[in-house]
Amino acid sequence: MKITDAAVFPYPCGDTSVRRLALEAKTLGYDSLVAIDSAAGSSDGVEIISGIIVQDAPLRDVIARVKRAKDAGIVVSVSARDNGFNRAVIGLKGVHILRGINAADKTAFDHVTAKMAADNNVAVDIDLSVLISARGVARQRAIHRYRDILIFERRFEFPVTLSSYARSYLDLRAVREVTGLCSLVGMDISGVEKALDAVGRVTTPGAPSVRVIS
Amino acid sequence: MSPRPPTLRENRRYILVRVEPAGTVIDQKELYYAISDAVTSLWGDAAAGIIMQAVVAAESGYVIIRCLRGTEKDLAIALSTVTGCRDLRLALRIVAASGTIESLRERIRAMPPHEGPVPETGDRVFDRKEVSILYCNGQKVDVIEKGFKNAHRLFLTKSDMENS
Repeated sequence: MKITDAAVFPYPCGDTSVRRLALEAKTLGYDSLVAIDSAAGSSDGVEIISGIIVQDAPLRDVIARVKRAKDAGIVVSVSARDNGFNRAVIGLKGVHILRGINAADKTAFDHVTAKMAADNNVAVDIDLSVLISARGVARQRAIHRYRDILIFERRFEFPVTLSSYARSYLDLRAVREVTGLCSLVGMDISGVEKALDAVGRVTTPGAPSVRVIS
Repeated sequence: MSPRPPTLRENRRYILVRVEPAGTVIDQKELYYAISDAVTSLWGDAAAGIIMQAVVAAESGYVIIRCLRGTEKDLAIALSTVTGCRDLRLALRIVAASGTIESLRERIRAMPPHEGPVPETGDRVFDRKEVSILYCNGQKVDVIEKGFKNAHRLFLTKSDMENS
């Protein structure tokens, strides 16, 4: 099992270099990081996976960017919007993670979208930074949305990823702390372990559904 | 008021946390307010009244926080939501929990000093910006951009400094 933080923003987006993030992530119990807009590599035994987030772009641009990133070993994430957009994005080959579901409107993720995510092996991301730094109504709303998503996850079994959205190493949290934070949204330890391992599962192509024997 | 006999006292637990970034000067009272705010915001007043969190000691980059026995897990979750103390950005990393302050102090003594030496000081250039080294320990190097305004603290490694 590979424990991965599904989104960190190293320097210049944040104040911590990617090497320092890897160094701190290692002490906090991670094996790999998805570094947004950063080169892939390895540092201090922590694998750095390159990632991009496509946001505020029309579907045509999303398709073009996904095509460009295809076969480059990049984790492609798209920010969620309305239900129609989300369904279209989940259907695209090469999209790995649907992000920001807590900020999208209430009907953005329903049972049909959940089924599509499970069929296409697209993960839905849980943004831990909202649980950590938001206060009051914003955090309550996020907890409610994540609980709702996890109901669908248990029914349809689509992958779920966990992201710290760390722009500084101070925003990173230890695996034990992540387990505690996820208990707020009703996720147990086995669920957290599965979610921390989900990046590897969505980036490796699944076995073909039809196999020719002879 | 005379002190209660031991059998009538509430059982307490103590949590040892490390304050990051290294070298942060902690005001015990300010940190208490930050923790109290985090606990109340997450669990509400009723639970905060049961947890009874308090900052008992702050020494050499470590802080000992007291709570009622059985509420350590709730306090630990709340501690992971602490992101700052007044205008200072910080993170609290939980190191250990114990039933006595003395055993946590022994742990602090056994651990390598958190606020380590700064063998390298002076001005350097990183990413075409002039920076001053604030803290250096092993591979970790904290620098601050030089300038009158927008002077940000950057968290780097020695390799970053050598490659820039």
